[in-house]
Amino acid sequence: MIRRVTARIREFLTSRHVDRDLTEELQSHLDHLTDDYVRRGMNRDDARRRAVRDFGGAGGVEIARESVRDARGLPWLEQLAIDARRGVRTLAKTRGFTVVTILTLALGIGASTAIYSLVDHVVLRPLPYPDQDRLVSIWEASTVPPRLAASSSSMLTSTDDPNRQTVAPASYMDFRKVAAFASLAGYDRQSMTLTGAGSPEQVLGETITAGYFDVLGAAPEKGRLFGSLDEQADSPKTVIVSHGLWQRRFAGDPDIVGKSITLNNQSLEVVGVMPVDFAPISQFVQPDPIGFWVTQAFRADLLGNYADHEIFVVGRLKPGVSIAQAQAQLTAASLDIAQRAPQSNLNMRAYLRPLGDDLVRRVRTSLIVISLMVGFILLIACVNVANLLIVRGAGRRRDIAIRYALGASRRRVLSEMIVESLILAAASCAAGLVIAWWLKDVLVSLAPSSLPRLGSVAIDGRVLLFSVGLSIATGLIFGALPAWQARRARPIDAMGTGNRVVAARWVMRWRNALLVFEIAMSTVLLIGAGLMVRSLTALNRVDLGFRTDQVLAMSVTLPDAKYPTGDSRAAFFDRLEAQLRQLPGVASVAFANRMPMRGSWDSGFAIDGGDGRMVSAGFQAVNPGFFSTLDIHVVRGRLLTTGDVKGSEPVAVVSEAFGQKLLNGADPIGRRFRRSAGGASITIVGVVRDIRRDGKRADIDPQVFLAAAQTTLYPTRLADVAVRLREGRSDGVAIRDEMRAAVAAVDPAQPIANVRGLDEVVSLGSRDQRFQAVLFGVFAALALLLAVIGVHGVVSYLVAQRSSEIAVRMALGAGRWTIAYWLLAATTWRVVAGAVIGLAGASLLSGFVRTLLFQVTPLDTATYALAALLLTSVAIGAAAIATRRAMRIDPVRALRSE
Amino acid sequence: MPTGESESRADVPQGALALMILQTLRSLGPQHGYGIARRIEQVSGEAFALNQGTLYPALVRLEQDGLIKAKWGVSENSRRAKFYSLTRLGERRLEAETRRWQRVAHVMARFLGPQEEGS
Repeated sequence: MIRRVTARIREFLTSRHVDRDLTEELQSHLDHLTDDYVRRGMNRDDARRRAVRDFGGAGGVEIARESVRDARGLPWLEQLAIDARRGVRTLAKTRGFTVVTILTLALGIGASTAIYSLVDHVVLRPLPYPDQDRLVSIWEASTVPPRLAASSSSMLTSTDDPNRQTVAPASYMDFRKVAAFASLAGYDRQSMTLTGAGSPEQVLGETITAGYFDVLGAAPEKGRLFGSLDEQADSPKTVIVSHGLWQRRFAGDPDIVGKSITLNNQSLEVVGVMPVDFAPISQFVQPDPIGFWVTQAFRADLLGNYADHEIFVVGRLKPGVSIAQAQAQLTAASLDIAQRAPQSNLNMRAYLRPLGDDLVRRVRTSLIVISLMVGFILLIACVNVANLLIVRGAGRRRDIAIRYALGASRRRVLSEMIVESLILAAASCAAGLVIAWWLKDVLVSLAPSSLPRLGSVAIDGRVLLFSVGLSIATGLIFGALPAWQARRARPIDAMGTGNRVVAARWVMRWRNALLVFEIAMSTVLLIGAGLMVRSLTALNRVDLGFRTDQVLAMSVTLPDAKYPTGDSRAAFFDRLEAQLRQLPGVASVAFANRMPMRGSWDSGFAIDGGDGRMVSAGFQAVNPGFFSTLDIHVVRGRLLTTGDVKGSEPVAVVSEAFGQKLLNGADPIGRRFRRSAGGASITIVGVVRDIRRDGKRADIDPQVFLAAAQTTLYPTRLADVAVRLREGRSDGVAIRDEMRAAVAAVDPAQPIANVRGLDEVVSLGSRDQRFQAVLFGVFAALALLLAVIGVHGVVSYLVAQRSSEIAVRMALGAGRWTIAYWLLAATTWRVVAGAVIGLAGASLLSGFVRTLLFQVTPLDTATYALAALLLTSVAIGAAAIATRRAMRIDPVRALRSE
Repeated sequence: MPTGESESRADVPQGALALMILQTLRSLGPQHGYGIARRIEQVSGEAFALNQGTLYPALVRLEQDGLIKAKWGVSENSRRAKFYSLTRLGERRLEAETRRWQRVAHVMARFLGPQEEGS
């Protein structure tokens, strides 16, 4: 069938035209011949007959045409098909070579395409806002304590200023006057309960200042944006919804604008719908969709308090204003604030950075490192394939020479080799594409969700084109090399060398250089993997100070409208605690603003008897069951009890770090502190073990635990409830349903969110480190595998090339081991040279990974030594396997075949 | 074309035919197939038999190798004919091959010459 089709195409494209041309030419020849005979005196008919006879009779023209057709060769399409069939046959004959080559290239193409696509998508692509290069992110940070930046951060939290804070609304109002900014807006994320048609649902939205959309340069799809009137309300009265929420929840109601929806029990008028392609800033730092935007006036107390850091701020620079100019003006503004509010802001400065850079600041380093690794892998893969092709090509020189001798044209042989290389490249590309797609999904699922824009990663066409191009180029260049080299060789020379394969000296030199290069790069990757694995084990050893197993937590966010006072909120949680205690699987119940690993608050306070300066610690209002639920041990004094209620003496329990860091090591018990001037004096009654609130990578900071029943500010609208399950009872759907039912028993309209085992959260926390370790591990394994293939290939080639020399040496009495040593020595020193270069390279590159490590120095000697040792021994092992073939050479046979 | 008279004629060696074609095109300029065939037969004193099954494949090969190029034109007989002419590559190849042939011919002449004289 296919043959018939190609025949048709061929006929149509070439033959018919060519044949007609030829017929005409031969006819013309015949006519001229006839003319000559006529000129010699024959009449036209006789002359014609004579000419035809000269031509070999009636069939003569046909014979001539046939021989021309033979000379012309087959039309290219048919020739291509023949070459392709021959290529596939040849490749199938050397299955080992084919599989290894395709796999090597496919892995290189797949890995690099998937990962560069990810990096491009996350880091390199500009933000989807008009004039996005003029958008800046603004934050505040204290200049003390001067902590070493990124001393213990992971790949995804690195290069972040540890003192960085959100902006105080009071400061924001001042910054708006800075001349460098065309406009400025504040925003924050807030989750609200959407009720009305359908079941209650937690929807994530943004609380923004009215100018937010203007700063970003966005326009609504329907309705209007917020104006200053919307912003003056004490509580939100109006709402703008996202295209997604509009479609999903309101079935794309065309008259949505002007209707009301219920968020947190408040009825809000929908004034606008944002278009589907509008991406709010929050979308770049977390994956949950943003469903709505609300705005309201800042509370009066906030505007007077420079210490209350509440909002993220984005600004648009005036055209022509540089970052440095804007920074200078911003610094001047924050110095001005420091003068007016020295108590809180003496060391507080404001900073800015291009928004795009700022959003990816946490992942940039890691992604650059990953890209480097992938680049290495792609290079190693190409080097390897080049090596394999050279070895194979060298082995075929004799075949090629014979084919030349038998009259094959150079072009034919060359095109055959090229077609074969192309088949190899095409198969690799196909396999590589599959790997790329698969790996992309794996990476997205493995990657921590803090990776920006993760939701929409697609394979990038340009990246794919690059990888595929590189592979095809490698295949073509090194695949066609033997035919090219042999093009001038006289067949007799090549045939005269017998079974020995010969390559030009420069090829040998190249191959050896490539080998060293490959070993060096594998060493670098292996060291990287070693460092990551050591970081992971170090991280697993860290003691959190509390137990996370058997603890199940959920968020219960009480709406303000329904629970306006602290008392009503406390009453809700008391009833909920009673409900949960009745569950047979529950050993104890805790509530707090947020459970450890799920969020934290730092708050300022002044210690009585101190210098009156405000200091800062982590604050949580908790119930008495908090400590037993999380298994936080008391060190001195007492824990909070059910006796610490409203009206009794306000008390607090602090962690050990409180005394060490804030009281110069003095015992905190009995000391008092105030959270605001004129506020209640709180007595410290107990000291508990230190905890790492924010996970294993976080520092130990002073913690203050207030009695929830005693505080008017707490429990806030945001609250976490956690239960410790009895031994033998494990987390599962059943217990979660029981907890949900307990909440419903207290208030059926109250949603819960974020139900998770704390264990799960901890493992999410080490997920970055594991992601890194897995990634590096995979890459290193790949590099090691490629290095093994490379070394084995080189030594096999050496053996093949020198088989007759080996035979002669054996015949002259050299032992097998002498031969093995002779062959291995050359390879060994190249492997060692590669490893040494790799060690040097790794130490040069170590700065890159510094921020990705945890409690391991980038120049960790043990890791370096181990990596080098592993690599050299594996490489030499691979060489030894290839050498075994040489040891089995039978001198008599080898020499006879010469 | 095994006719009676052609028995005394020799077949043209492959390489030699190509060289003859190239030389013909150099000395006569663009020529059609029939003209080339006539010229070779004339110069060789009818010593070579040249049939169309040999000439035209040779022309195709030369054309494929880029040594000559072809163009349709009108002949001196006012007939349409395909005219072949030398390319730059063809000229260079002709020079190189001519030198090689002359050297071989020279050596062969010296090698064979004395024996002839001595007999």
